[in-house]
Amino acid sequence: MTDKTNRRDFLKHSATMAAGTLILPQLIPSTALGMGGKLAPSDRIVMGCIGVGGQGTNNLHSFLWSKEVQFVAVCDVDTNHTENAKGIIDRINKNSDCRTYGDYREFLEKEKIDAVSIALPDHWHGLIYSAAANKKLDIYGEKPLARTIQDGRAIVSAVKKNNVVWQTGSWQRSGKMYRRAAELAINGRVGKITRVEVGLPDGDSRIGTPPVMPVPEGLNWDMWLGPAPKVPYRGVCHGDWRWTLDYSGGRLTDWAGHHVDIAAWGIGMDRTGPVEIEGKGVYPIEGLYNTPVEFDFTCKYANGIEMRVATGSRLRFNTGAAWFGEKGWIHVDRDGGLLHASDPKILQEVIGENEIHLYKSDNHFWNFLECVRSRGETVCPVEVGHRSISIGLLGEIAMTTGQKIEWDPIKEEIIGSTVASRLLRRPYRQPWLQPTL
Amino acid sequence: MRKQYFLILAFAGLIAILNGCNFGGHYKALVVTGQNNHNWKASSPILKSLLEQTGIFSAEILKTPEKGGDMNTFNPDFSKYDVVVLDYSGDSWSEKTKTAFVEYVKDGGGVVIYHAADNTFPEWKEYNEMIGLGWGRTEKDGPFNYYSYASNKRNEKLVIDTTAGKSGSHGQRHEFAVKIRNMEHPVTKGLPVIWFHGKDELYSKLRGPAKNMEILATAYADTTLGGTGRNEPILITTTYGKGRVFHTVLGHADQGGGPAMECVGFIVTFQRGAEWAASGKVTQKVPYDFPDAVCVSLRTNFREITLEDDLAKIPAYDLTKSTKYFVNLQNRIRAEGKTPDKLREFEKMMIKILENKEATDEAKKLLLHEISWMGSDLCIPVVRELAKNPQLKESADYALARLQIIN
Repeated sequence: MTDKTNRRDFLKHSATMAAGTLILPQLIPSTALGMGGKLAPSDRIVMGCIGVGGQGTNNLHSFLWSKEVQFVAVCDVDTNHTENAKGIIDRINKNSDCRTYGDYREFLEKEKIDAVSIALPDHWHGLIYSAAANKKLDIYGEKPLARTIQDGRAIVSAVKKNNVVWQTGSWQRSGKMYRRAAELAINGRVGKITRVEVGLPDGDSRIGTPPVMPVPEGLNWDMWLGPAPKVPYRGVCHGDWRWTLDYSGGRLTDWAGHHVDIAAWGIGMDRTGPVEIEGKGVYPIEGLYNTPVEFDFTCKYANGIEMRVATGSRLRFNTGAAWFGEKGWIHVDRDGGLLHASDPKILQEVIGENEIHLYKSDNHFWNFLECVRSRGETVCPVEVGHRSISIGLLGEIAMTTGQKIEWDPIKEEIIGSTVASRLLRRPYRQPWLQPTL
Repeated sequence: MRKQYFLILAFAGLIAILNGCNFGGHYKALVVTGQNNHNWKASSPILKSLLEQTGIFSAEILKTPEKGGDMNTFNPDFSKYDVVVLDYSGDSWSEKTKTAFVEYVKDGGGVVIYHAADNTFPEWKEYNEMIGLGWGRTEKDGPFNYYSYASNKRNEKLVIDTTAGKSGSHGQRHEFAVKIRNMEHPVTKGLPVIWFHGKDELYSKLRGPAKNMEILATAYADTTLGGTGRNEPILITTTYGKGRVFHTVLGHADQGGGPAMECVGFIVTFQRGAEWAASGKVTQKVPYDFPDAVCVSLRTNFREITLEDDLAKIPAYDLTKSTKYFVNLQNRIRAEGKTPDKLREFEKMMIKILENKEATDEAKKLLLHEISWMGSDLCIPVVRELAKNPQLKESADYALARLQIIN
């Protein structure tokens, strides 16, 4: 604990120094600036990775753009992943010292690091995010925050209790266009917002039912499953896990951490939740995959705003976040950077000094590193990550039960339905224990 | 007491009469066939039975003379019917019959144009206006109508193309995704927006007057399968005078129907389209075995799957064979989830299977996961019992944990 605190102070101090140099940048070689430059090894943020498959490796590369981090260890249930990531890190570090682990418990026990980048299937988030926070590590954690609302709350509680810095991988928050769109919406540039439409990609994953097959060499299948039900290996693992409810809620929970997150930001509801959720899903009738391929549900907030979340083909603007106000609409989506409005003049509007200015971050990874030093709050802190995915998860519960869900966003309880309340958790397979508050 | 009894009887009688209205066929349908470049002998009896299956139609088949026969003998009284279904592509009707048909539609009669019926009568102006778009038409009849293809679906737009040329084509037969373009129309309301259709011809390059016409659904004609690379109209509605026309290009018939007709998507849109053409509204529910964005769903015997069917199949559940019956059950539960009594009924049915020694472990695992959220005290004894079975312990514990019997 003391070691950790000292280390934090130290990192904070070097940040102050780096910031100080910014006043006279032309006099200082860029390599001394910290971000993008080079820091002495002892000043660098020492990091590790848990989960270095597709997204974990992408995130590793993104962090490596900054010269102020040093990666020293990686952990994954697949040795093919750890070997690959070790290769990347060793090349950068010009040595062969990167340590590899197959069990996160050993990784967390042995590694003395400042921060960790975690990218795992959703069913592992509750346990590993909480465990890393309990080890006082600052965490860059992939969205969605958790597979269930109970898991999510446990993660939030662990992060807050340990006072660690958290960044949710909802990187659109660090995109100029999304911030601009949300800022225009929240400052009433289309009048009072009455409803929001959030379009997520259509579901289209087709697999049928592959036969049981041998577990590939290097993969610890039982550990990959972890707290999820034990099932034979059918080749559904890295890259394919999102279409099985035991691991993910499908497109809905994948993308709720993006467009829903931005939509809630633009109505100032990103640290609370709706009070009513109702809707329907379409579930594939044949095959192993069982996440909804189509969904359409509406959340009502206490202030009367309605947020409709649906597969894009069901909505006017297809994918993205759209705010509808008394005077028009604003819509933002990826699609090469699409920001448009009912009247193009809206997009030229200046946000005055005394109006709401949303958190400004232009690089999601660097924002995290800055906060590791400053101990400040990131652009997508854990509570926000939790509230964004809660909308997706409440939608999932409404669709599973066919009920109109009444939600208390303060106590985080479903009102008046025992059966729906049971879906706030997914029981863990022994010996894994669900993290508690 | 006696009075009450009488009231109950009277009430029961009223219900019976109301039911009778529905069951005996609220609407009268006429299926016109007898000539077609397609297998009308296979398709028309299926169309008739699909109409009757809804419980709101009585239907009869009327055959025209054979090709080259005396068409003057084909002279039906269309006005007796609420909807005329055309499974016909052949010789021109007599002028008298054509006039009668036009008058029937103008006066508010319903029409369903089924598959190759849009190939026929290219010279008949009024007919072209009724069907909106057809096969074998040229620029003199009207433009091509389709939706453009765009990698971002938002940018797909209706295209009205006046390029000269004859209409009608299709690539090789295949399963394809149908996309609803108007979710609010009575025919399509409540259906999945994207659903896979059974192996069929994907009619393309249709053209016509397209007056008072709406394209309800399209399908992308894949160029790698000989398609146009456009989103082609699949379900169309037009109004003509006071009449309503529902036009489906789906359902190419093989002997016995085949996958294009067996497709639940074809069946349901045909049934709903016929009701809309007859009445302007749709009262039929969307069935549980409707296809979705990734799965084709076929009814090989053209019979709707009942809850009894699902319950009979689930005990033999084998993931590698079919998941449909279990998913149907889940969909039924979701549809009734608002009503606690209904959930109890489902629970009792599930308990029976959990107690069934013949039921597979796989079936029981699924039911244990499902019952974990919607079960009650009723299921606890059997779940506890199954927890003693090493093969099922994990799933039983899962259920007990969610039911808050154990941690």
